[in-house]
Amino acid sequence: MGLKNGLTIFFGKMMVKVLRLIGKDAGNAPGLVLWTLNKDCLKAFKVECPIIAVTGTNGKTSVTNYLNHIFTSGDKKDLKIITNKQGNNLDTGICSLLLGECDFHGRVKADYLVLETDESHVPVIYSKLKLETLVVLNFFRDQLDRNGEVETLILKVKKFLETYEGNLVLNADDPNVARLGLANPNNKNVHYFSVERYSGATDQPYEVGEGKYCPFCNSKLEYEYYQYSHIGKFRCPNCDFGSARPEVVIKDVDLQAPSFVIDGEKYKPSHNSIYYIYNLGAVYTASKLYNISKDVLHDTFEHFEVNNGRLEVFEVAGSKLLVNLAKNPVGANMTLRVMNEHPGEKELLFVLNDNLADGHDVSWIWDINFSVFKDVTRVVTSGSRAYDIAIRIKCSGYDPDKIVVKPDLDRAMESFFSTVGDKFAIANYTAIQPTRAAIRRYKEGTEDAND
Amino acid sequence: MQTIKLMHMYPNMLDLYGDSGNVEIIKYRCKMRDIDLEVSSHVIGDDTADFSRYDIIYLGGGADLEQQILAEDLLKCKDAISDAYKKGTFFLMICGGYQLMGQYYKDSNGEKIPGLGLFDYYTAASTDKGKRCIGNIVIKATLDGEEYNVIGFENHGGQTQNVTSPFGTVLAGNGNCFSSKTEGYMEPSVVATYLHGPLLSKNPKLCDYIINYVMTRKTGEKYTAQPINDKLEEECRQQLFERLLK
Repeated sequence: MGLKNGLTIFFGKMMVKVLRLIGKDAGNAPGLVLWTLNKDCLKAFKVECPIIAVTGTNGKTSVTNYLNHIFTSGDKKDLKIITNKQGNNLDTGICSLLLGECDFHGRVKADYLVLETDESHVPVIYSKLKLETLVVLNFFRDQLDRNGEVETLILKVKKFLETYEGNLVLNADDPNVARLGLANPNNKNVHYFSVERYSGATDQPYEVGEGKYCPFCNSKLEYEYYQYSHIGKFRCPNCDFGSARPEVVIKDVDLQAPSFVIDGEKYKPSHNSIYYIYNLGAVYTASKLYNISKDVLHDTFEHFEVNNGRLEVFEVAGSKLLVNLAKNPVGANMTLRVMNEHPGEKELLFVLNDNLADGHDVSWIWDINFSVFKDVTRVVTSGSRAYDIAIRIKCSGYDPDKIVVKPDLDRAMESFFSTVGDKFAIANYTAIQPTRAAIRRYKEGTEDAND
Repeated sequence: MQTIKLMHMYPNMLDLYGDSGNVEIIKYRCKMRDIDLEVSSHVIGDDTADFSRYDIIYLGGGADLEQQILAEDLLKCKDAISDAYKKGTFFLMICGGYQLMGQYYKDSNGEKIPGLGLFDYYTAASTDKGKRCIGNIVIKATLDGEEYNVIGFENHGGQTQNVTSPFGTVLAGNGNCFSSKTEGYMEPSVVATYLHGPLLSKNPKLCDYIINYVMTRKTGEKYTAQPINDKLEEECRQQLFERLLK
């Protein structure tokens, strides 16, 4: 270890120790300080186990949690996995995580590192830590003011991949992702997954999407069908793009059961949304690289729950509530799809914040397709941009008198649960944990009152 | 029932920040006044239509790549568009749409995209892609002689100069250039701006200004849109002014 690296680690470890001594959760701070002092600080860590990273706009946290669960299931319960389950996925967050786990020599002892990684941070992190497998889920428009245009982001990842020779697990049905398989023609470790047409697929795009043009020749891409947003069976009429043969194909998707078939075996997942099935496709393909048994996969797909605001179910005061995170139009449209496919009357809570981590720009809500509302009897909005989302829903033609605006979350819960029935909640990034907390507070409050 | 005809230019390409929301809002506010908004679109390769048949021509914002791709097609429409402008069709243009109607737009790769030259302003972006005007913005505009604060969100690398009649003065945010005093471009029949959000969502009076202009021009009589339930919009504006204009 060089002197600089040695000092970096020593200083970092001391920082974590002091913070713990004064009773503070180290969080992001040590990584941030270290990063400021030494831009190459990640190089100071000695990681000898395989690193698996998961990136993409939507589904990173879920897929990371699934992989983490799978790697420690069955006969592998003793394996040590280091992972950022809570989605602390920027360079500084990952740096903090490793600081907490390493010894004073910077050695990180584990069997696997499974790291959810922000798309824009993939190059900076993995130019310094050796990556064995990168899983790329999708690229949607997301927080444009923070991330810039989607194209800029894809080009960043592509540039990194031009010299990368490790495993690459790619969604073949997203042109923005599939194109990355061609970034390094010498990489023989590219593994595509795909999902065959499901019952909700459409011939015309149903929601706003990216990737309308071939990244190689600018021709308009032709789609056989759209599964959701711009995910679907596409090809370029001019060049060969879109002809990659996926190694994993999910067939016979039945959202009613729900069930699907991979490699001739039927799986019964615990949720029934198409974007969730794509996540499982990524999990399956990555698991294949690590010889995970089919029993573990069956068990995980049937029983494992990420919760944490990802398709999380709550029972509150006689109502059943499904909560889902949505950071961008595609995420929100997915929850609205699940809501609309649910029979009978229901109510919706939408919590919208505009904090730094959300992106200060909330104009993405206008790319959500609210005109498809079916049997929605009331909408409650909350968060720092409660009015923006209320106006958005109103202008889609929804009766403004059925919209209740309560920027304060506790007031919002009182209003939301003043009726009993089926309920759905959508919350964006910084809103999701406060929303879950407010639901629990409300639930505890009413249960105490009933004692 | 009266019908307003709106031409949405390149809706599949100039739709970066929920810009199509503006069309949805015009449609909604027209419907509340028993006016039907008929939306047509022009995409690359379409025949150059008689644009003066439309009451409103709308262009949203797009990424550099899309602006490059559509520039050639747009130039083919030059005569038809300037004919519509001269005859009094209303022009609403956001961000990229704003830039393309000027003299030229030099993008962040240093590529110069010719504009339609309808107006004298021109735009150049820094080649440092990180240098962008990003954030909430409030400007003071004058609509039919009345001052009206317009709220939105700006996110543009392009710096627009040589603006003879701006849309408004900046109360919070950047405007046409970094820390500029003015924002956008305006004539009675033109609103060109960097504000998205989308623009009309939190500025119902601006939307009604457009509807009033169009209906007055169509009917030959002074038209004033009847007030509708804008409680949510008013409360939203109140909340944001308190936050942004401190």
